[in-house]
Amino acid sequence: MDLLRTPLLGPLLRWRHARTLFQIPLLVLSVLMILHGFFGPSLAPKNIATTLTWVHFRGALVLVLLAAGNFFCFACPFVLVRDFARRFFRPVRNFPRFLRNKWLSVSLLIAGLFVYELFDLWSSPWWTALLISSYFLAALIVDGFFKHASFCKFVCPIGQFNFLASTISPLEVKVRDQAVCTSCRTKDCIKGRRDPVSPLVVIQRGCELALFQPRKVGNMDCTFCLDCVQACPHDNVGILTRVPASELTTEAMRSGVGIFSRRKDLATLSLLFVFGALLNAFAMTSPVYAVESWLAKQLNVTNEAPVLGVLFVVALVIEPVVVLGIAVWLTRFSTDKSPLSLLVRYSYALVPLGFGIWLAHYSFHFLTGLYTFIPVLQSAAAESGWQFLGTPLWRLTGLPVSTVQALEYGFIFLGLIGSLLVSYRLAQEDSPVRPVRAFLPWAGVATILFAAAVWLLSQPMEMRGTMLGG
Amino acid sequence: MIARKKSLVLLILLLAFACQKTAKPPDIGLQYEIAPQPPRVGAATIDLKLTDKNGAPVGGARVDLEGNMSHAGMAPVSVETKEIETGKYRGTLQLTMAGDWIVLVHITLADGQKLQRQIELSGVR
Repeated sequence: MDLLRTPLLGPLLRWRHARTLFQIPLLVLSVLMILHGFFGPSLAPKNIATTLTWVHFRGALVLVLLAAGNFFCFACPFVLVRDFARRFFRPVRNFPRFLRNKWLSVSLLIAGLFVYELFDLWSSPWWTALLISSYFLAALIVDGFFKHASFCKFVCPIGQFNFLASTISPLEVKVRDQAVCTSCRTKDCIKGRRDPVSPLVVIQRGCELALFQPRKVGNMDCTFCLDCVQACPHDNVGILTRVPASELTTEAMRSGVGIFSRRKDLATLSLLFVFGALLNAFAMTSPVYAVESWLAKQLNVTNEAPVLGVLFVVALVIEPVVVLGIAVWLTRFSTDKSPLSLLVRYSYALVPLGFGIWLAHYSFHFLTGLYTFIPVLQSAAAESGWQFLGTPLWRLTGLPVSTVQALEYGFIFLGLIGSLLVSYRLAQEDSPVRPVRAFLPWAGVATILFAAAVWLLSQPMEMRGTMLGG
Repeated sequence: MIARKKSLVLLILLLAFACQKTAKPPDIGLQYEIAPQPPRVGAATIDLKLTDKNGAPVGGARVDLEGNMSHAGMAPVSVETKEIETGKYRGTLQLTMAGDWIVLVHITLADGQKLQRQIELSGVR
């Protein structure tokens, strides 16, 4: 199926201003969230910034990634502001070569997860508003200085999350017929189109993320901006269905990305995606407070930062090194690949499970608090003197926890199945004679992480911001 | 000429805001006790004592309690307290989940004046 050839939605998405049409409402909403975050109620459940960011945005994001693709990057409001700013100043520099990888975004993602826990961003409208504002500012600064979509490709932590998660999505922006590309001479999908009379004027830009459509494989680094769709003079780019996660088993050279198994930065990002999912979910359960209190006593500290630091090192360094180290060591008995190349290669196999855990966590908040945006918006309108939305219906929440919990287990189980399938495909390539021997260690890793996720979900939730104090 | 007009507008704005009277909130003291201690998931009885600036009990008020979790996406729990003796009010909130709770105390005094106070219940288990 090609989404661009479906009735109604197809023509809408093919429209030249489709992206802007979706970006404008999100920009308006973002401005409202920032204003309410800074100047509205300080209680998170009564503030638009915290409610929409931590309950609705995250949940809708992962569900759309699961059901369709990276449509949140498509409708990104940060890029809309950047595009507007670029009408007045055009960057001339390229992004520094040594930063053209995922190491910066890996660091930012770790910092983001750390700050999220340290300052309890989810409970603070002010911090949430500051976070949203800083995204706008960062996009403006980075893309104000550097050409193309440097912010999206190398900096934005949300973007990196979406790129990885969209490897599981059922839709991909890709060419319809390779033969058409073979005969194409203009390569507008990457170069863009310029005014024939004034060649300095770009009529339609090509892919800003350096993904050349005929050699593009999968969704990695694709923001679904559809610039390639607009640029292609042969109408040869569509949004096509595909087998979710199939790109994780491909060893092909990817335009703008390279070969997965040679990208240590991308593999590290994948592992952070997986182990970070467990850590983020763990931080919302009761046992974490017992662990933290114990750690605080051992370290003899009352400050949360060093305790969190130890937890992060254990969850994001020691745990992966031990678990994956054993798997690599066992896999070496069935293949002659180097330990590092095995580690990099099989890191991607864990992405489906990682996505399953994020999906379970975020969809829990989204579905159990599905209707909470209604009273919050009613209340915000009433504060501003507009009574037309009526009295806030604070009783409105969402689906029952028991129903949502069943879904959570389902998502994690789906993730496990995905990781097992990808691992097996990789093992078949690495060890054609005895694929099971190469597969078993990674099946073991996936099963251990799956069991950890199930255990986490079975723990009572505890929504606290006072890790050590209370 | 333009500068003079701007100065005039600024002066008017300054005078307008300088002359604005803000309603002074009533000087009411609030003491509270919560049982059980430490608070647990389930029923939490909150006893409140309202006093005026001289320390005398403030009776005849309507006092509502509204418990909110620190995370968005949770429904608040509310209860209207009963005045058990002059200036003393009691209400029982159902704390539905472990975590940090913030209890808003909405007070309407006998003369109709309204005020709000906040109680933090950290680490409900």
